Amino acid sequence: MKFFDLYRKDRWPHMFCPGCGIGTAMNCFFRAFAESRLNQDKTVFVSGIGCSGRIPSYILADSLHTTHGRPIAFAGGIKLANPELKVVVFTGDGDLGAIGGNHFINGCRRNIDLTVICINNYIYGMTGGQVSTTTPFGYYTSTTPYGNKEYPFDLSEVAVAAGANYVTRWTTYHVKSLTKSIKKALVKDGFSFVEIVSQCPTQFGRRNDMISARQVFEWLKKNSVLHKKAHTLVEDHLDLNLMGKITVGEFVERNREAYTKVIGVRK
Amino acid sequence: MVTVINSDYCKGCNLCVVTCPVKVYKEGDKPSSRGYFVPKIVNVEKCMDYKRKKGEKKKCELCVLVCPDQAISWSNE
Amino acid sequence: MQGNEACVEGALYVGCKFFAGYPITPATEITERMAWRMHEMGGVSIQLEDEIASIAAIIGASWTGTKAMTATSGPGFSLMQENLGYACMTETPIVIVNVQRGGPSTGQPTKASQGDVMQTRWGSHGDYETIVLAPNSVQEMFDLTIEAFNLSEKYRVPTIVLSDADIGHMRGKFTVSEDIKFIDRKYCTKHVEHNAFICDEGLVPEFPKFGQGHRVHITGLTHDVSGYPKTTDPEIHAKLVSRLVKKIRNHSNEISRTEILNPKADTILVTYGSPSNSVFEVLSENHNIGLFRLITLWPFPETEMKQIAKTAKHILVLEMNLGQIYWEVERIARQAGCQKVELFSKIGGEIHKPDEIIKRLKNEVL
Ligand SMILES: Cc1ncc(C[n+]2csc(CCOP(=O)(O)OP(=O)(O)O)c2C)c(N)n1
Ligand code: SF4
Ligand code: SF4
Ligand code: SF4
Repeated sequence: MKFFDLYRKDRWPHMFCPGCGIGTAMNCFFRAFAESRLNQDKTVFVSGIGCSGRIPSYILADSLHTTHGRPIAFAGGIKLANPELKVVVFTGDGDLGAIGGNHFINGCRRNIDLTVICINNYIYGMTGGQVSTTTPFGYYTSTTPYGNKEYPFDLSEVAVAAGANYVTRWTTYHVKSLTKSIKKALVKDGFSFVEIVSQCPTQFGRRNDMISARQVFEWLKKNSVLHKKAHTLVEDHLDLNLMGKITVGEFVERNREAYTKVIGVRK
Repeated sequence: MVTVINSDYCKGCNLCVVTCPVKVYKEGDKPSSRGYFVPKIVNVEKCMDYKRKKGEKKKCELCVLVCPDQAISWSNE
Repeated sequence: MQGNEACVEGALYVGCKFFAGYPITPATEITERMAWRMHEMGGVSIQLEDEIASIAAIIGASWTGTKAMTATSGPGFSLMQENLGYACMTETPIVIVNVQRGGPSTGQPTKASQGDVMQTRWGSHGDYETIVLAPNSVQEMFDLTIEAFNLSEKYRVPTIVLSDADIGHMRGKFTVSEDIKFIDRKYCTKHVEHNAFICDEGLVPEFPKFGQGHRVHITGLTHDVSGYPKTTDPEIHAKLVSRLVKKIRNHSNEISRTEILNPKADTILVTYGSPSNSVFEVLSENHNIGLFRLITLWPFPETEMKQIAKTAKHILVLEMNLGQIYWEVERIARQAGCQKVELFSKIGGEIHKPDEIIKRLKNEVL
């Protein structure tokens, strides 16, 4: 499979800003999808609203670009109504952690068979750089002109706590590991969650003394630490995540029976 | 085999320059027709050396995976 | 059987295979009965985390070619508004049952009301049309749920069964008529990738269900016939939204249903849902009064209303709200020549009693 077998070449070059990590995420997703030999005509791509929500409009497959925060709910309906379809969700940190938080935790809890890929750029990209639920403490956004006074969510740990079957996080710098993990997430039964910490040079970088994509990218690289003890929880997570360092790695791998299997949906 | 940058897609972010372990790319100094500074390919032979040195079957392709605009590809020339 | 239960049976009868809901009085019985009956019928019924998720899930399910429904009451219906607009924009067939209770806000959970009539029409942002049916009996909870599915499939539009606490909890029998029709949406027969929203003068595009290799992109953003977002071109937006509205308005005569008795009477009572049952009692003893019962609220049966208003001298609109469909009736009736159009409101959960209606009319005709 070639890149433009999966993506809509007629829509290139895409709309994302120069150096935006979303394009990197799309590369890794492509590799993982191609390597897992899934059928693109039996896969549905669902997204919410935001820059990250535009990914499915570039994918050459059935895709549903839904409302802000709700893609997991839409995706669940697709999966339950036709379990033969593989359903992949693309979402952003605002889409998933703020307005869609309820669907996120309940989707994990239900362990519904979805692969959810969140582009976490620490900010609301599409609406022009407002604070998000994942913006690190003290960082600047257009609605935190004095620095963010709230503590961020660790989306991956939320997913672990809520019961997802597979949870992993990498940054756009870790392209190889990320590709491997997406591949794993795609074939995993139940709810799998991939968090991709990504650079938004236009809205996040610019406001936090990193004027070029390259600077945010290097910042991600410098601040990442590998979470070695895969399959277990980070112990002192508050110290580690986002406030100082970005832990990357696999956080949980469970084998709880997937929701469609539990309820025995007929194919 | 040489690496090519598609200047219709490249937006001059220079992430390839940062990523390549053997410095195959160098920041561009002339704007493309779309107004972006497309990097220059300066050391393409190092890419093959790197592959040989690591004993890999394929090139590392970090640049291809990282390039957010799908501008990098390989051509047999 | 209860009205709410008859509604479930109607849905299953026309082949609804997916239900998602969130418990709320006075619609809970629908979610409960679905939980066991849907299982028996080999479909999926799920209680989700809220009403936003419920309508989202049925829209998703519908894109796999599955007939899907949700049920709620006022507070939940309010939460659904954004995705209701999404279903209109993406032309997704779904059925929403709203068993109305007293509002605004949490209001009167156990009491009937007709306060959501305008919300079904204007609740989501932007211009759009939906189809809204108003049952007045257990039998109609069954029949109109079926009709709602048929219309929603035919026009690719969300269709709302607008019931209320009294009808939902009313007990009675229903019969299954032999000539019930089942309408399924027209599926694409050809590969449509770049033409997902192309249609003929019927204005309803064929449905490219997911999983068939059509590779369509469906978005709530303004899109052209390819389905791709095109959000800044005024013409594309105007063309799309006008079509969404016209595909319903142009077919209003086919869609709209009314029940009319004594059309030439000087006094006409306009009613729908619960209060119509009192009006029937009034009519059985007063043969000089006419009835105009709306079975379809939206699109409003304008042609029939005009016809009646041409000869009527006095039109009295009975509603369990402070005046909603009244404004529509007044506008049309006045244009048609009837100058005396009045509203008889009742809120708080009581329906208009027959003797109250008679008293109200006394000074006028009797
Ligand atoms: C109900 C609703 N509220 C607000 C918005 C406006 N809005 C669009 S995108 C967005 C935030 C997107 O942020 P994120 O999910 O982090 O995605 P990103 O653009 O950063 O990829 C908001 C608030 C909306 N579209 N709908
Ligand atoms: S605003 Fe940020 S997230 Fe959106 S395309 Fe630009 S760089 Fe990417
Ligand atoms: S990474 Fe890609 S888009 Fe960025 S400068 Fe290099 S070739 Fe151009
Ligand atoms: S394949 Fe690896 S070594 Fe070769 S140019 Fe790309 S990043 Fe550099």
